[in-house]
Amino acid sequence: MTATAEITSVTAEPTADDPSAAAQTWDEFRRNPLGLIPLAVLAALALIAVFAPLLAHYPGGYGSAVLQPPSAAHWFGTDNLGRDIFAEVVYGTRVSMLVAVCSSALAIALGVLLGVLGAYFRRIDNVIGTVVDLCLSLPVLPLTILVAALAGPSLRTIILIIAFFSWPEVARVVRSQALAVVNLPYVDAARVIGGRHSWILRRHLLPAVAPVIVVSIVLTASRAVLSEAGLAFLGLGDPNSWSWGRVLYEAQQSGAMSSAWWTTLFPSLAILLLVVAATLIAIAYNDARNPRTRQRV
Amino acid sequence: MPPLAAFILKRLGRAVLTMWFAITVTFLLLRLLPGDPAVAVASTNMDAGMRHQLLKEYGLTQPLFTQYVKYLDQLLHGNLGQSFTQSQPVSSVLMARLPWTLLLTGSALVLTVLVGVPLGVIAATHAGAAMDRLVQTAGVVGQSLFVPSVGIFLLFFLGLRLKLLPIGGAYDENAYGAGWYLSVLQHLALPCLSLVLVSLGSYVLTMRATLIDSLGEEYCLLARSKGVSERTVVWRHALRNALLPTTTLLGLQLGFLVGGAVLTETIFAYPGVGRAIYEAVTQLDYPVLQGSFVLLAGTVVLANMLTDLAYGLLDARVRTA
Repeated sequence: MTATAEITSVTAEPTADDPSAAAQTWDEFRRNPLGLIPLAVLAALALIAVFAPLLAHYPGGYGSAVLQPPSAAHWFGTDNLGRDIFAEVVYGTRVSMLVAVCSSALAIALGVLLGVLGAYFRRIDNVIGTVVDLCLSLPVLPLTILVAALAGPSLRTIILIIAFFSWPEVARVVRSQALAVVNLPYVDAARVIGGRHSWILRRHLLPAVAPVIVVSIVLTASRAVLSEAGLAFLGLGDPNSWSWGRVLYEAQQSGAMSSAWWTTLFPSLAILLLVVAATLIAIAYNDARNPRTRQRV
Repeated sequence: MPPLAAFILKRLGRAVLTMWFAITVTFLLLRLLPGDPAVAVASTNMDAGMRHQLLKEYGLTQPLFTQYVKYLDQLLHGNLGQSFTQSQPVSSVLMARLPWTLLLTGSALVLTVLVGVPLGVIAATHAGAAMDRLVQTAGVVGQSLFVPSVGIFLLFFLGLRLKLLPIGGAYDENAYGAGWYLSVLQHLALPCLSLVLVSLGSYVLTMRATLIDSLGEEYCLLARSKGVSERTVVWRHALRNALLPTTTLLGLQLGFLVGGAVLTETIFAYPGVGRAIYEAVTQLDYPVLQGSFVLLAGTVVLANMLTDLAYGLLDARVRTA
């Protein structure tokens, strides 16, 4: 099995229609169940987020069945006000995914821009590097809490805050990758033939850091989910929308967490599922991209 | 200047710069965000003269820079302002609570290293085997844990169901002498365990990866070819060199751990700075929130500096880097 796979990969490489690096990576990724299953999990969560109204009624209003354990009528049980926890978790998927996507997109944009610029224009690198180091050496959660409390809780604020405190990590990773590329001969060559800065950045630097960006997107998004849940757990979430952190917050506030295990177990599992899936995807992607691990498999 | 003195001076400078940055960011946030307590107090539908009077009392009519200098001056004198809700200075509110947070995060950090090093060694020396897979899987899951989930789980099973350990507060009020210290340890157990569980994963994974790299280095090959036992190669040669990058990681993790402490202290009603933050959030006590951040940032910066200095003294490579 492995022998034939190796032979085909060896013979496939020198042919004229050499598949692109991205296609090769995907080909490799596809064969790894530890990459494919988490990808399916993420896709399923995204579908749940999109089609939430088809799966459950919006958890508003108070029900008479208070703190009921899981049953056929309430799969995940009910909370202290008789609301269906399954519905809360389903709608929570929306908020968590939204925060993950938006804040990671913002953080990536800012982090990549500053990371690449810093590596390329050495004159501003000192400033960017110092700011990144400073940001990374401070405890982020207490600062996020202060900002969230000052700005008032809303989904938009939370997305902005999380993005604003996640970009330094992205910038650090992207910058160190870009620094390794900037001094390679092909970048010098591009400069020698008179390429404009914007062209060199777009055509040569960005593609070189692209794999790092892919990993960053996944990891930043999963960390954003944890940050949002953390803020919501402290009561700084958007009071008008359900998130997994808010389900936990209400269970803690009402004291339900010490008597009714289902009020905390299901939102916790949802968070764990999403974050583990994202981490595994990042690992599988790294393995698939790395020729060394590719050969070993 | 001798290189050691230059190293110490440089590291001190960086710590001061980091603190200045933290304080300045806090100042700007307080002045620029809508929730500024002083502005909130002087609400817009108030009589114009009264509003001006109030703003003046808070020093908010002065130019931003003057306010900034005054703010720095206050902080340098250890003045973090007045708590809104407890009618006492923020510094005395928080200083009473800082020891508990130091105890919690400190013990969690020590335990993470004590458990993490052997686990990393086992995984690295059995790379690819079942043992290694198990540690790696546990590491990935551990990395992905949400602090409150772990805390609630421990509280529910170990605290409430099995009644093994107390779940609220930091000590037993009716205990004295040795009994008091025992009760402190018992109350510490669950919050500390929650923090260890969430911080262990990434520590073990990094330890494993660095150790595998070290074990492939030439000095390990040399040691082996001299006939040194594999045990000594791992523990005395490879591990010593793998400790540096993992210690750097630990410094970065300290900030994360402090954030985790805010969440665990909330769950276990542990009377540290984190619990003070939670209480201040529910009462919108901004001075306490701001003071907590400055204090926790100071702790993290100081701890990082001390670790770096200790490492610089032990390892000459750090000094020249």
